[in-house]
Formats: sequence, C-alpha cells, structure tokens
Amino acid sequence: MSLYEGAVKKPIMTTLCFVAVMILGLFSLTKLPVDLYPDIDTNMIMVVTTYSGASASDIENNVTRPLENTLNAVEHLKHITSESRENTSVITLEFEYGNDIEVITNDVRDKLDMISSMLPDEANTPIIFKFSSDMIPIVILSVQAEESRSALYKILDDNVANPLARIDGVGTVSISGAPEREINVYMDPNKMEAYGITVEAVSQVIAQENKNVPGGSFDIGNNTYPLRVEGEFADPQQMKNIIVGTHNGAPVYLRDVARIVDGVQERAQKAYNEGVQGAMIVIQKQTGANSVQIAQDVKKMLPTLQKQLPTDVKLGVIVDTSDNILDTINSLTETILYAILFVVIVVFVFLGRWRATLIICITIPMSLIASFIYLLIADGSLNMISLSCLSIAIGSVVDDAIVVLENVTTHIERGSDPKQAAIHGTNEVAISVVASTLTMIAVFFPLTMVTGMSGVLFEQLGWMMCVIMTISTISALTFTPMLCSQMLRLQKKQSKVFLYLYAPVRKSLDKLDDLYARLLDWGVRHRKTVIASCAALFLASLGCCSGINSEFFPTSDNGRVAVNLELPIGTRVEFAEKISLELTRKWQERYGEDMDAINFKVGQASDDDTFNSLSDNGPHIINFNISFVPSTDREKGLQEICDEMRADLAQYPELVKTDVIMGGQHGGMGGQAMASFEIYGYDFNQTDKVAKELKTKLEEVKGVAQVNISRSDYQPEYQVDFDREKLALHGLNLTTAATYLRNRINGATASYYREDGDEYDIKVRYEPDQRTSVEALENVVLYTANGKGVRVKDVGTVVERFSPPTIERKDRERIVTVDAVLSGIALSQGVAAGNAIIDKMELPQGIFIKVAGSYEDQQESNRDLGTLAVLIVILVFIVMAAQFESLTYPFIIMFSIPFAFSGIILALFLTGTPLSIMSLLGGIMLIGIVVKNGIVLIDYILLCRERGMGIIRAVTTSGRSRLRPVLMTTLTTILGMVPMAVGQGVGAEMWRPLGVAVIGGLTVSTVLTLILVPVAYCSFAGNGVAFKRKKMKKARELNAYYQSHKDKMTRVKASGRIRHHHDDSQES
Amino acid sequence: MKSVMITFDQAFYERIIETLDRMNCRGFTYWQQVQGRGSKTGEPHYGSHAWPSMCSAIMTVVDDAKVDPLLEVLHAMDQETEMLGLRAFVWNVEKTI
Repeated sequence: MSLYEGAVKKPIMTTLCFVAVMILGLFSLTKLPVDLYPDIDTNMIMVVTTYSGASASDIENNVTRPLENTLNAVEHLKHITSESRENTSVITLEFEYGNDIEVITNDVRDKLDMISSMLPDEANTPIIFKFSSDMIPIVILSVQAEESRSALYKILDDNVANPLARIDGVGTVSISGAPEREINVYMDPNKMEAYGITVEAVSQVIAQENKNVPGGSFDIGNNTYPLRVEGEFADPQQMKNIIVGTHNGAPVYLRDVARIVDGVQERAQKAYNEGVQGAMIVIQKQTGANSVQIAQDVKKMLPTLQKQLPTDVKLGVIVDTSDNILDTINSLTETILYAILFVVIVVFVFLGRWRATLIICITIPMSLIASFIYLLIADGSLNMISLSCLSIAIGSVVDDAIVVLENVTTHIERGSDPKQAAIHGTNEVAISVVASTLTMIAVFFPLTMVTGMSGVLFEQLGWMMCVIMTISTISALTFTPMLCSQMLRLQKKQSKVFLYLYAPVRKSLDKLDDLYARLLDWGVRHRKTVIASCAALFLASLGCCSGINSEFFPTSDNGRVAVNLELPIGTRVEFAEKISLELTRKWQERYGEDMDAINFKVGQASDDDTFNSLSDNGPHIINFNISFVPSTDREKGLQEICDEMRADLAQYPELVKTDVIMGGQHGGMGGQAMASFEIYGYDFNQTDKVAKELKTKLEEVKGVAQVNISRSDYQPEYQVDFDREKLALHGLNLTTAATYLRNRINGATASYYREDGDEYDIKVRYEPDQRTSVEALENVVLYTANGKGVRVKDVGTVVERFSPPTIERKDRERIVTVDAVLSGIALSQGVAAGNAIIDKMELPQGIFIKVAGSYEDQQESNRDLGTLAVLIVILVFIVMAAQFESLTYPFIIMFSIPFAFSGIILALFLTGTPLSIMSLLGGIMLIGIVVKNGIVLIDYILLCRERGMGIIRAVTTSGRSRLRPVLMTTLTTILGMVPMAVGQGVGAEMWRPLGVAVIGGLTVSTVLTLILVPVAYCSFAGNGVAFKRKKMKKARELNAYYQSHKDKMTRVKASGRIRHHHDDSQES
Repeated sequence: MKSVMITFDQAFYERIIETLDRMNCRGFTYWQQVQGRGSKTGEPHYGSHAWPSMCSAIMTVVDDAKVDPLLEVLHAMDQETEMLGLRAFVWNVEKTI
C-alpha cells in the first residue's frame, strides 16, 4: 500500500498525525524566545596584557609585536588588530564566522603559553577576554532624584538593583551616575609635617584600630564562652579620637591632623535624565537568556520597585531593546497574515471552489507551524530571519497541494469516485511533486553552507525552508489526498449567487487563456523575433545596473540614537555638563513628543562599574542616549534626526570629536552605512597628515554626514622625573617615592567602614584644596627609612608632557582608520567618492590606504553569494536533468533565470532601492522559484508530444492548459511578498528590498518564461527533429547502400555462398 | 458456466466488487495493474508519463443466467462515466475442476 493510499484509507490516523504535529508546533511556539536576529556566535577574542610603566611604543615593541607574531598563526584568523597604550596592550583577534570559538580560544591559549616566557619579566600574563553580544545592555533605566541624591547609590542598590538581579536570566545590574559613599580622611599637609606624621602611618593605624578580633574560647565553671574584641567603628566620627602618633611625648589624635568627611566618591560619573541629575541602571543578560522576556519582566517589576523608593526618586526607561524587537516581530506577523489572506484569495479566484480552497489553505498553517518544532530543536528563536522565511514560504507551500488537488479534480470530473480519484490522482503526480520540491531544496540547502557573516543569517533560513518544503510535500501527498477524498464531490449543480459572482472571473480567465494561446501561436511562428527581443530586454536591463547602488545591510529605524562627544582633554566636568544640558534642552524643545527619553552621562566611571569602565569615559567625554517613539508614530525618519543633530553639534567649535550613532551602536546590522578607510604606515606624523587630509576632503563630499579619525590627539599630563642618585642618597627608591605621591593625591584605602552589612572605603589623602597646583606636588614630603623628611622638589622635578596616543595596528602594521558616516547616499557611492579622493592624493612612500569595514564585509558576502548562486544553478540543473532524463530540457528551462535577474535589476532601479544582501537573497531564492514555471510548461509539452501531437500544436495546447497553474503559483508567491515589499511597520526597511527583488524578478521572469520557454523549446525540438530526420535519412541511405552492396562486403555472405555451394553440390 | 472478463480503469475497482457481491458472483480473479487501450476512443492506460492512468482486470466465472444482468449493470456503469472506460467480454467455460 502506497503512502497516499494508506492516508486516504485511514483518514482518522492521517488527521491525527497532523493534529499531533500542529500541537507540537504550537507548543514549540510558546517556548521559542523572541529576538531581532538569530544568535550570532562571537568571533572575537581579546588578549589584554599589562606592563606597568611602559610607554605606548615600548608596549608596541616588547609586548604587542611578539604576541601578534605568535597569535597570527592561529587557525581561521581573519584580522588581528591591536591597541598599544601606556601600560596596556590590547590585541583583538577576529576570526572567520562559523568556527567553534571554544576550540579557537584553546588554540590562542596554547600560543600564549608558548610566548609568555619571551615577554618582559614585569609584564603580567596575558588575559584572554571573549567578546559576546550578551555584553550589549538590554535595558537601561533612568533615575531622577532630588533630595535623596547623596544616598542614591545605596537606595538604588538595595531597592532596585538587587531585586532586578534576582529576575531569571538577568546577568549584571550596574548603577552608574550615582556616586558611592566613601569615608574620606582629609589630611592637612602642614599639620602632618609639623607632627611628623605620614599618610601611610595614618592609614596603617586606622586599619589596625578598625578591627574585630575573635579571642578564642574560655571556660568559666561548667560553661564555655567565646571571647571577642570588637574594635570596629560604629560611627565614622569615632576615628577622630584615634591616636596616630606622638609628638614631644604628647599623643597626636587624628582630629589634630585631619578632618573626616562621610561623603561620596570624589570622581564619579554623573548621569542626567531629561535634564535632571540622577543615575542610570544598566541591565545585561546572561548568555543565551531571552532578552525580550527579561525586558518585559523588568518593566513589570518597575511599579513595585517605584513604591519602595523615596518620593523624589523616579524610575524611567531609557533604552528597552524589547520594544523594538516586539514591534518588528508584530509587524512581520501582520505581514505574514496578509500574505496568507492574499494567497487564499488567489487560490479561490483560480479554483472557483470553496472546498478546494479550504483544502489547500489548510496546508499553509500546517507547514508553517511544523517549522516551529525545528526551531525549538535547533535552539532557534523567532526573529526577523525566521519570520521572513515563513513569509517567503507561504507562496510556495501551496504549490504542491495545488498540483495534487488539480489532478484529483480532473479524475473526479472524469467520473472517478473521490476516494479512488484521490489515490490515483496523487499517484500520477507524486513524482513531479517530489521533483519540484527537490528543486526548491536544491536552492535552499546550499544556503545552510554559506560561511561568513551572511552565513550566520542564511543558515537558519536555509534549514527552515528545507523543513517547510519537506513538510508541505509530505502533507500534499498524504493530508491533501485524504481531504480530497473526504471533501471533494463531483459538482453537479452550482448555486445561482455563486454563478452570478464568479461568472465574470471565469470569463476573464477564459479570455486570458485565449489571448495567451494566440500570443504563443504567433510567438512560435516568429521565433527569431521573440528570442532577439528577449535578449535585447536582458541587455537593456543590464544597462540599468550602473544606476543601482549597493549597500551591505539596509539601514533600519529602531528609534535609538547615541551621541558621543569629546571636549579637549583636561576640560572640567562642569563645562561638559553645561554643554550637555544646553543640548538636552534644545533637543527636548525640537522633538517634544517624538522623543521618549534623553539621557547623558559625563565624567570618570568608577572602577567597579563594569559596564561603563569598558567604554570610553572621562571628565571630558559626554555620552548621550536618546530614544524616540516607534518609527510608525513619528514623521521624521531617524536619519533625518541624526543629520539635524549633527548640524547642531557643528555649532560648538569646542567639541573636538562628535559622533552621532544612529541605531545606538556602531557596526552590527541595521546601523547607518559607514565607509571605512584604513591608512597603513609606520610614521605617526605622515599618517596623521594623510588622515587629516582625507577627513577634510571627505567632509566636503555630499552625503557624508560625519568623519571620524580613530587616532586620538596627544594627551597632556604631568610627570615627576625623580633623580635616582638623589633618591639613593636619601635611601629611597623610585617605587617608594611614587607610592608616596599616589597615596597623597589619589589616596590610600586604609580600611573598610561597615554599616548594615555594607562596606565602604575609608580613604586617606590630602585635603582637596591642597592638591590643586604643581607646587603642592613639589612640596610633598617623602620620609626616608630613618624618618627624615625630604621634599619632592629636592629629589626630582615636575614637568608637563604630552603622552603619545594609542598605537593602533591591524594585521601587524600601524594603522589609522578614517570612518565616513553616510547619510542619503549608499555605501558604494561613499566608497567610490573616497577612492576618487585617495586617487588624487599624493601619498608619501610606504603609506597606503585600504577600504575596509562593512564594504569589505559586503564584498565578501557578495562573493560568497555569487559562488552560492553558481552552486545552486548546478544543483537545480542536476535535479531537473534527473527528472526529465535529458540535458536539453533543463537547459531550455534555465533561460528563465537571467530574466529573473533583469527583473530584479529593473525593480531595484525603478524603486531606487540599493542592492543589499537582502535583495541578493531574494535573487538566489528566485532561481528555484522561476524554474518551477518552466518545469510545469516543459513537462506538459513533453506529455503532449508523447501523446502524439506535433511540436507547435503541443506547445500551444500545453500553454493554454498550463497558463492557470503557472499564474496561480506565481501569483501566490508574488502576492505573498507584496505585504513585505510595501510594509510600513517597524523594521520594514530591512525586508522591503527582499520583497521588491522577488516581486520584480518573478514578474518579469514569469511573463518572459511563458513566451520564451515554449519558443525556445520549439527551436530546440525543431532542430532536434531535423537532426533526427537527417540521421534517419543517412541511416536509410547507408542501409540501402549496404543492401545493394551486401555481396561484396560481408564475409558472412561469402561463407553463406560456400555453404550454398555445398548444398548445391549435395543436391547435385 | 461462462467466464466474464472485465477490464476497467482502476477507479472502478470498488464499484465492480460491490456489483459482483450484489449479484452473488463470489469467485473472481483480479489483476491489479494491467495496461491497454480501447479500440475506438478509449484512452491508453499505460502508467507512463504521457498516459499515467492504469487499468485493472477481473475475471469472474458465473452461471449462464447471471451473465446478462451483470453485463447490464456494467454497461450502465460505463455509460455514466464514459471517460474512464470499462469493457466486459464473455467466454464459454469448457471444463472446470
């Protein structure tokens, strides 16, 4: 019993099998995490090595270079970049995507073990640090506060950060902008000198006094008691009464030389929300956690948390990545529903029967829902790629069901019983259904093998399409015939209303059939004209190529903008605050309701604030975080807003660097396009000059919104040059002297003050006003081993110097990167403009400029996709050749592929869409979709020929008969894509190019396939027949010749004659 | 005793078995897949790409009296759905065991 026979004869089993699949699918759907993109494994490893006291160039030569040379041998390495700055070397290794990062990490570790003995002795062991997307914060909360500001850190830590950290999946919660409490012991240098007391002595005494010591146990009578000495301070002010030394026999109390301030950290980052000072709470997730779920949980918790806070502390949300994800996913879901609706309408119009429409449409949700099971098994998520994939699949999953249903209907109309019709009708088309699925799989399976960044995206799409196609075929061969046998009946009477409504549709479809048959009849008689005009159209479309620009990923509007500003180094934090507040006010006024939140932070991040200390920070650096309402609710596009902001910033000449980042973060997908130029060269001055020249010229290019140079300026700093001889004379060494300085200026952490289970630093240092001048530094007293004091100015000099900038290297050469952020022009145009400038520049010897960044990625993926297209074409050819058992017919069908590409080119040209990776993906999918039409046509032409028709008659008959199926499958795919192509929802700009490409390519290719493929068949078949006739004629002539000359030629004949002779002789 | 050879499009199978049951013709021999074509208009049934449908054949040996009613029913069935094709042929049975 065959598969379909079994299915038809056991309807309950079949139905329940599919119900089970649906239930599993829906169950999986509830378990699937939601995200914007598929999980992209990290491909970066950082190696951080510290070497205290070494300058940038020392680090470069002694640490970075040897490490780079060794690490360069690690497998799968793509680029090696490094930053050598004072004290640290940071090497970033970028690997090819798709490799197991754990294995690579081990390789890197082995290589580091090999080299570590070659590094300078003082250098620390290199530390391996893995980058991952989990480090990007998923929610940032804002906090506004008035009176509670000084205690804000503790309030937030206890009442907000700790409860939030308990949410499932939350990784770290860090508070920034709220300074932590600190007990400051401010020493008066003059009094210290008078009493002969040092900072070190004071901090040592504090550490000794502030202690609880257990004394063991002791017995009294029958009982044992523990013994303790409790010396910890219960109040910071108790410290005043500690005796820190003696002077002339009298005790010196701490209060005599210092004052104690129970305050906050001196240098801390400040955060402003909507212009009001407060704090920021940054929430990062654990690896692999569901970010949308976490963000929702956090938001759900906020009202409860708000209640526990003092009334002046207000919580808000600055960045919530989940909003954008949910909006995007929702608008994509809407797109899918519209696509289903359109497909159902098309099927109904063409079939004209509601039962048949219902049977086919049941296949759609079934195949789509079943794919969720795959997603759950493969640890996938509901993201833009997997949902786009559903949208793409809708048009194709009905095809198989349509073919089966059509044939079953034919059988029923011939008089078969529905059950028998379902079995035999399915049996007849099963092979071609499987073959057409195989062509689709031939297209999508290679997608799973793409490497690189695009590979990460397409792998999931490839697998999902393969799964969906397989399920839809299985369903078409089992579930559809079963439903046909149960639901289809020979239609003996049609209702009047239906006839009235459907008659015009039927009439126009019939007319279309006639028109097409006539056109085809003309076409096959004017083959040369048809082929020539098709070729001309193809060439003309290639001409449009030059009018199309290219980009890597479409820019998407996620409503987030980050602005990073840099003032000259040494600018006081108050000035930075002033400028930031001014900008805040300006932007608040201009964008009003459109702006959801505006927040900025300024100042030095504290050491224990992991999130902020990783990013650039300092008193002169300002970071804005601005979020806008979803793109559907505002008039201005994000790009326009960014351009306006850049114009505002241009009015502040005091800003040395401005960087407006659309989308909130550089790189990644969906950000603003950026043309990066890498200047390689050893000499700082020369490369600096080239970079500046390139920057100035790029800024003049229209469409370049901002240009950033990666190398920063020389930093001014004070250095103390100790005279080693003089130090030695006093019995001091450099480290001791430097530590003395550090303890007085930066402070020494003496001990911890404990209160309510929390610990706060007790810091001992000079009074703030005693460390604001060079003289103060010079007057610092260093004590020798025998207690003699000596001033810094006696053993050294304080000088102002400029420290060299960070030395950046890439692929083992020094480099400066110039990034041009593009607005209004495509990446290809930006790169072309840059290249034109570079061509005109006179580069000094040994300096060269390379285009890098996303342009490099784009070129790489284009190359990958190009190879893929060739691979797919070959696979599709093989599948078709196997199906037709011929090499000619697949070749004829392949004629439709070039026109798919001219269709894409025309569509992109007319809509002004740049060629991006998404439209290329559309092109690749089309290879599979357009050949399907050709297969249907050629298959039926062959059938007619086998039934004995002449070439032209076979072509016109099958054209007329197959027009509707071809139109139906094409229209389902095209209309399935329409919601994608015209979508206005959040994130629509990402998949619009895909929709445009598929619609354009499929339309042009289908129209031309309907004419060109039959015509090409005629030519080939005509030639084939002529060739065969010639061959037969030759064979006939040869045979005639042979027959007439048989006697002379064959030895059989000769021997025969001998035998005859023999016979004759016998007879005689 | 006569033998009736019925050749028909596969889709008829169930209806023919039903008919035989109804007419009390118990014994029969059934060939599930046979190929053939009609003498005049009958479409070929080859199970090939061009002619995908297939025929079946049933041979039943019945009493002489049952032959005519059986042929009548079969003829009616054929007339109703001409497109499928159904033919019956009758032979004499010389001997049986």
